[in-house]
Amino acid sequence: MTAEIAPAVRVMLVDDNPARAAMVEERLWGCGFEVSLVIPSAAGLLFQIERIRPDVVLIDLESPDRDVLESLAIISHHNPTPVVMFTQEDDPDYIRQAVTAGISTYLVGGINPDQVKPIIDVAIAQFRAFQSLRDELHSTRVQLEERKLIEQAKGLLMAHQKIGEDDAHRLLTKLAMDTNQRLPAVAKTVLATLSPKTSDKGKRST
Amino acid sequence: MTSNSQLAPPEKAAISVGFMRLTDSAPLIMALEGGTFARHGLDVTLVREVSWANLRDKLVVGKLDAAHLLSPLPMMTTLGAGGIRANLLTGLSLSLNGNALTLASALWDQLGLGDASRPAALATARALKGRLEREPGQPLTFATVHAFSTHSFQLRLWLKAGGIDPDRDVRIIVLPPEQMCDSLARGIIDGFCVGEPWNSVAVQQGIGVVAATGHDIWNNAPEKVLGVTEHWHNHHPATHLRLRLALMEACRELAEPARRREAAEVLSDPRYLDLPVRVLVPSLTGEFGFAKNQPPRWLADFLVFHRYQAGFPWRSHAQWLLREGCAMLGKPVGDDVCQALVQRCYRPDLYREAARHLGIASPSRDAKEENRHAAPWEFEPGITLGPDLMIGG
Repeated sequence: MTAEIAPAVRVMLVDDNPARAAMVEERLWGCGFEVSLVIPSAAGLLFQIERIRPDVVLIDLESPDRDVLESLAIISHHNPTPVVMFTQEDDPDYIRQAVTAGISTYLVGGINPDQVKPIIDVAIAQFRAFQSLRDELHSTRVQLEERKLIEQAKGLLMAHQKIGEDDAHRLLTKLAMDTNQRLPAVAKTVLATLSPKTSDKGKRST
Repeated sequence: MTSNSQLAPPEKAAISVGFMRLTDSAPLIMALEGGTFARHGLDVTLVREVSWANLRDKLVVGKLDAAHLLSPLPMMTTLGAGGIRANLLTGLSLSLNGNALTLASALWDQLGLGDASRPAALATARALKGRLEREPGQPLTFATVHAFSTHSFQLRLWLKAGGIDPDRDVRIIVLPPEQMCDSLARGIIDGFCVGEPWNSVAVQQGIGVVAATGHDIWNNAPEKVLGVTEHWHNHHPATHLRLRLALMEACRELAEPARRREAAEVLSDPRYLDLPVRVLVPSLTGEFGFAKNQPPRWLADFLVFHRYQAGFPWRSHAQWLLREGCAMLGKPVGDDVCQALVQRCYRPDLYREAARHLGIASPSRDAKEENRHAAPWEFEPGITLGPDLMIGG
């Protein structure tokens, strides 16, 4: 069976050297990648990324557009995209250290068809792992925040209604079911409603 | 002043230092051209880089020994918020101010500010808010040079001061400094916040009008620092000290107007900024033009290398920069983390060490009040600091 089920990885190539770009593009197609766009440089890079939504961007290490691409990964409201860098400069020492430092993936001396596929695959896998770690961290943080809210609301209910913790929890759950809201949302409402009224204990100097 | 013979010999005399094509790289270039590095026993090669990411990565892997770095980068790189996590530190700030915010001429004309040659920064921000409300169907795009830069923070401060939400009401992108003017001329962006000379290039080409200087937005903001890795510093303390001494001398010389004019000529060289002297002069001399065909204004503090203890790496600056960077990421840091990072990355002790050798006074405390003083003020006897207000209170 030779049929590939997974769709081809879509690559965007940014290179200001047209001859090299043509060679690289040909090799990428040969390796089974889909080269969605080849542009000489970054004027309009962001807009092209938004339009094309490539799976990976290949860019010269010495391109000023690296800051542009990096900002995509940093600022969450853009579309983060994995980036593979290559360099024409043969500086094996730098490349080795860079790879060791985990900076990114570098290709030495242009693009070698035997190396290009594994490198791009690894870059995408690393990127996805990082993104999911980031999402996971975010959801863990949200969960912690929500739990804190619920605990605070319970505490307030216990003091206000003179009830035990289990009863307070049941009361919150019931409120959530009655109003068809999530528990944290109900907790927030409880906090907002009860906080100012608990004049003795709840008042905090600001 | 300590003579070089009393200093420990450099662990490494031949070093590479990275810089970007910006006028605030003047201390590095003038220290080389004026022989200051050589007098301190250093054989420095200046390496021009095209992106902050490249500069930082080469510093991290040791291809560069030191670099001209954006002031938030030591903290943000140590935090691991950019492309890579590595411990960077600075013991010397290289400049205060020097950025400006330029709007496309077409947008400037829509602000209805008339012929006022220099409205206040708050007035331009409010006028922009008015334009956004009048024409909600025409969104605006602004560019800065790096996510974690004073440029980003200054642009956001200015927008907020005008009542504009930087995350919702406009679009902010990152572009290389050299592409700013071309993108502005082609209408891809409506304005930018960038270091010099790129605002002066836009003004002289007649494609943009300066709506605010960096100083208008944050008086005497820390702009560039001398960045090294913690590892490099630990292994080359004597080299690092000599490097700071040479650069502090270069910065002090750049307080002289004559030296500044000379710097414009030197920086113009193809090896350095490779740009005409006329676009380098405004920021270096302080005779700054806000719009084409308007006489320049004299702004003594447009770009500060020495005055107001400019070299001192204030931990209160670092704290503000770190908090702003993390807020932008939507990931606020706790006080403990913030304090630990700031102490690790901003090293006033290293500044004081160099100042003692030069026989100059330095602040005895690591932090100062920010956003409090509208005029120069005395921090301690003999230590005068500049204004530190931020726009919008």
